[in-house]
Amino acid sequence: MIGNRPIKFRILELFLDGKEYWNYEIVSKIQVEYGMNSGYGRDSINFDIIELASGGMLKDVEQKVDEEGIYKKDFLLHKYVITDFGRVRGSDACLKYV
Amino acid sequence: MDLKALKKQESKRKISKGYMWALFCAVFWGIWYLPGTVVWALNPFDQMQAAIAETGGDGTALVVTAVLITAFNALTVMLALMIWNGVLGKYGELGRTLKEFHPCSKWFFLASIFGGPIAILGSFIAMGFIGGAFAAVSGLLYPVVGSILAYYWYGEKISKRAAMGIGVIIIGGITIFGGGLLSDLSSGNVQWIGYLGGLMAAAGWGIEGAIAGKGLDISEPDAGLTLRFLGENIIWWIIIVPLLALFGYPMYSFALQVFEPMTLLVLIFAGITFGFCYVCWYKSFPLIGVGRGQGIGNLYGLCSIIFIFLFFGQVPQWTILVGGTLCVIGSFVMFTEDASALETLRGE
Repeated sequence: MIGNRPIKFRILELFLDGKEYWNYEIVSKIQVEYGMNSGYGRDSINFDIIELASGGMLKDVEQKVDEEGIYKKDFLLHKYVITDFGRVRGSDACLKYV
Repeated sequence: MDLKALKKQESKRKISKGYMWALFCAVFWGIWYLPGTVVWALNPFDQMQAAIAETGGDGTALVVTAVLITAFNALTVMLALMIWNGVLGKYGELGRTLKEFHPCSKWFFLASIFGGPIAILGSFIAMGFIGGAFAAVSGLLYPVVGSILAYYWYGEKISKRAAMGIGVIIIGGITIFGGGLLSDLSSGNVQWIGYLGGLMAAAGWGIEGAIAGKGLDISEPDAGLTLRFLGENIIWWIIIVPLLALFGYPMYSFALQVFEPMTLLVLIFAGITFGFCYVCWYKSFPLIGVGRGQGIGNLYGLCSIIFIFLFFGQVPQWTILVGGTLCVIGSFVMFTEDASALETLRGE
């Protein structure tokens, strides 16, 4: 079922295990799954994560400076965790709890 | 650079971008009332109205013509959004979202029922009967409908401040509708279908927003909005236009006459402005929060009055100006309290 559901569904699914993830971990995973390897693809996936966070489905729990350039050098990296509302919306979207 | 400075820089960048998108939305939305008003005076729509009025009466003629105009509006919006999605490389995501009918895209189709045949048709009816400024400003009442619906549907609480904003918007609405009605009453000619159109715009957009939100928060807005307009095109071109044709209205013969350069140009202009105002609106939400995004987006009411003045030289009745200002103030009072999305912007 890789790469055939809407990207935000897949992002929520990755978070449904309740663990905290850095944005670059999720972005690079989605990039591989959906074949979006360009810089533009990376930014658009990251914007999806920002939208999910602003919709209250993910919570921004930690930030750090990207000193080594793992994602974008000298930009902020964000760490997110799923919220209760995110779980509800995730299960509405027929995603399975892990 | 240290963490604190970077956080500040990031939130600054987010906020300025978000305001830019929201302002673009207001400008595009305001401009939309120009082609929306002009199109009534163009062939084939003016001929269509005259032809139907001969046998069916003025009211029927206006509504049936409004249906055809709204249907073409939906078509050109769809065209603009397909080009937009193509440029962004989102056809894949569009297909994936469409396939998730049960959890996701059904909400877009449901939203399109309220957005299209109620809100947009109502707006065109209001533009045709009463005028662009009235149509634009009466649409500003939509947050009242939306929040009352959210209260009953999701059990969302209405805070004191939001209630105050709703109160101001309602007073604004009474001014807009009441002022026009009173002068109509004194002249003995009440254009009640036009006022009904204004109410349809407010109710339709309020309901649409509440429903579409259920699908949009788990999909990409570019794809979601396109599906919402796909739904509206199906409603018009597969259901309502053929039905009206069956009832004997000359839908197809007039529809085929839109291929005049001026008419096409105006319709495409309407599609581009309307399509992109939706896109900009949704782009602003994650950056400055839904509250501020909607508050600034509602400046479209003032934008439309300015554009209508600049292009048509029409100064609306003072009741529309006062009522519109009240609605914009009310929406600021109501929306800017929503701090949930702003907390993340403030960082710390």
